[in-house]
Amino acid sequence: MDPHHARYPFFDGARAAVGEADISPPALIAEDAPAVERGLERVERALMEGTVAPEEPRRWSDREELLSYPIARILVSLVDTPAAVDKYAAAEAATAHERFSADFQTDDDGLQSTSSPTVSLDRVLREFDLSGAVRPERTDPTDRRRGGRDPTHYWVGVGAYLTLASADWGERWRLVNRELATGAVRVTNDELHRLLEEAVRRRVADGLPFEVRGNSAGDEIAEALDDEVESLRNLLNDHDVAGRTDVDAVVPGLFPPCMKALLQRAQSGESLPAHSEFSLVSFLVAFGMDATEVATLLGADGDDADRIETRVTYLADAEGSQFAPPSCASMQSYGDCVNRDERCETISHPLSYYTSAVRDAGEVRDWREAVGE
Amino acid sequence: MEARTRDYLEGRFGDYYRRAQIPLPPAAERREWGYIPWSAGGTTMVRHQSLLDVGDLGDFLTRTAPRHVYFSSARFTDPGAGTMDEKGWQSADLVFDLDADHLPGVDPETTSYADMLDACKDDLLKLLDVLDDDFAFEETQVVFSGGRGYHVHVRDESVRGLDSEARREVVDYVRAIDLDVEGLVGTESNRGTTRRVLRRHGGWGKRVHDRLLELAENLREMEDADALDRLQELQGIGEGRAKTILGQVHNNFDAIREGNVEAGGPGTRILVDALAREAVAEETAPIDEPVTTDTKRLIRLPGSLHGGSSLRVRTLERDEIEAFDPLSDAVASRFRGRDIAVRVTDPGPVEFDGDSFTLSAGDQSVEECLGVFLMARGRAEKVKE
Repeated sequence: MDPHHARYPFFDGARAAVGEADISPPALIAEDAPAVERGLERVERALMEGTVAPEEPRRWSDREELLSYPIARILVSLVDTPAAVDKYAAAEAATAHERFSADFQTDDDGLQSTSSPTVSLDRVLREFDLSGAVRPERTDPTDRRRGGRDPTHYWVGVGAYLTLASADWGERWRLVNRELATGAVRVTNDELHRLLEEAVRRRVADGLPFEVRGNSAGDEIAEALDDEVESLRNLLNDHDVAGRTDVDAVVPGLFPPCMKALLQRAQSGESLPAHSEFSLVSFLVAFGMDATEVATLLGADGDDADRIETRVTYLADAEGSQFAPPSCASMQSYGDCVNRDERCETISHPLSYYTSAVRDAGEVRDWREAVGE
Repeated sequence: MEARTRDYLEGRFGDYYRRAQIPLPPAAERREWGYIPWSAGGTTMVRHQSLLDVGDLGDFLTRTAPRHVYFSSARFTDPGAGTMDEKGWQSADLVFDLDADHLPGVDPETTSYADMLDACKDDLLKLLDVLDDDFAFEETQVVFSGGRGYHVHVRDESVRGLDSEARREVVDYVRAIDLDVEGLVGTESNRGTTRRVLRRHGGWGKRVHDRLLELAENLREMEDADALDRLQELQGIGEGRAKTILGQVHNNFDAIREGNVEAGGPGTRILVDALAREAVAEETAPIDEPVTTDTKRLIRLPGSLHGGSSLRVRTLERDEIEAFDPLSDAVASRFRGRDIAVRVTDPGPVEFDGDSFTLSAGDQSVEECLGVFLMARGRAEKVKE
């Protein structure tokens, strides 16, 4: 099989590959194959952590990765809530974004630093029928230093731009604030990747949820996945609880050590890895900080502020339910669980740490009030 | 409007349609059609018609001689269905509407019809500049609405699928609504250093940059004293800042060409703000937002007659626009060359067919084109010949 399909299972070719596989999703479900477990993990991590990447990548073969995608779609359809569909599609897209950004980078360097095969930008553009709508900015031919390197900017046809970008992503994305000339919008490399992420999100969300039940084969599938669907539903309910906290004061001095460390790194200007930034921002959003407050606390400006604003908007979705910040276990798996202290022994979630710390501290002073003065 | 007048106009509209060759819009069979008959008091629209219901358009118009005729900007799978859900929306032309009623600074109470149409044409030209240069649309149709303004239909495939929200982005761009003037300046890295530059590769940043370059060229040609005076006309620029900017114009023109706003000192920033305000005031077109954002709107059919003016809804080639005078060029020739008897009920000044005169009240004989114009606009009634 084409190993691209394991990493990008929503590609059209991957769908065909699933069709041609020697075993169908219903058969996998019937025999409780590893792809089913991985499919469940896909959805679980999507709902809880905004990613569909496996916790232990070595556990799964390319084939299982590929086949887990249609299983995940069946599971999301059976859970059948708008929040589940939205979050699942967003997480598939965010993961794809991380993967192709890394791929394009590798492509760019000409170094195959990983063993997995990479996709090129052209390949992804073709996949989403955007080849004709996106062109690289011609760089100055006299500037030798950029010779052979990827351009820093692209021009995206205004129709494609308006189809993919949303004014909700922030002022910077509004057409009125863009450089638009001869029918195309100028975007940075990163912005192009964001647009492609949206193309992925739409592709994944398209057709979800679908009717699984209604015929004997479908009913059988639904029955076989009963436990999985039940556990996902519980997860959604739990996570709505976990995503909320009674504390609404912002007191950075009382943050758990892991979040303190991430905050300090961000404030010192370090560009955090995506999963770490996700952890930190979702933690801050959980007690009601808005985009501007988060950006101010992190000391972010310009493009960083815009990116954080986008992330906050994404985390606090329209229904008011939020992505819960990662648990202690997830923080450990990311390598972000640092400087553990005594209180850490008593809790399993950074939010619980903070709630209990604020409770013990009695009277606290909100960071936002201090800023206002 | 009296019954005799209504019957007369209906009859003459029918005569017009009998001879007129009215081209169908592209994909006419997938559009919804609608019309307002004379009989209904001019307000009740018959809609949800498909071309199948209407039949041959020429026959239909001759037979029905409607007061107003419309077709949908949208294409549907089943345009004749009674509800939007059943129609099955596929795509919609992007439509811009300039209406003299909505022009800023134009009071429809005190401005003559002719002057309103003139003001509207200036705005049409601004709109076309933005649509041609920035959006580079290829399939555009410019239409005089027959009433108080102009329509531009855009049929490029790349924008036909856009939803309302995306179309609002286009409106806001054309009108520079929510333009972040501070954001027109961004950072650019060049050989390892970053500098603050006007985002001049397109959009409103380019429009401001064009103005900056033009101003700088002019300043270069002037005597220093005049140039300093010119700069100090701008709000927030005193003598010191003017000198720094002028020094920049003389000694480092390349920096200005590259949009560098640091080199000329803090005055340059103020200059950019002033030029941005100018660009917004002079280059935006006050298009009617709901028309553009509505993806299911019915639009007046080019080639038909406007029941409120008797003027032709006329498609304009680009090179016709500059010289186009709606009050003579949109008069249907069918109504020329013979006189009719009317009673003027609303006397006063009139501009029509290249002429400007004062109407007296009462029965009189006028050229038919003027007669139908006055009757359609409610200023005269038909009397027996």
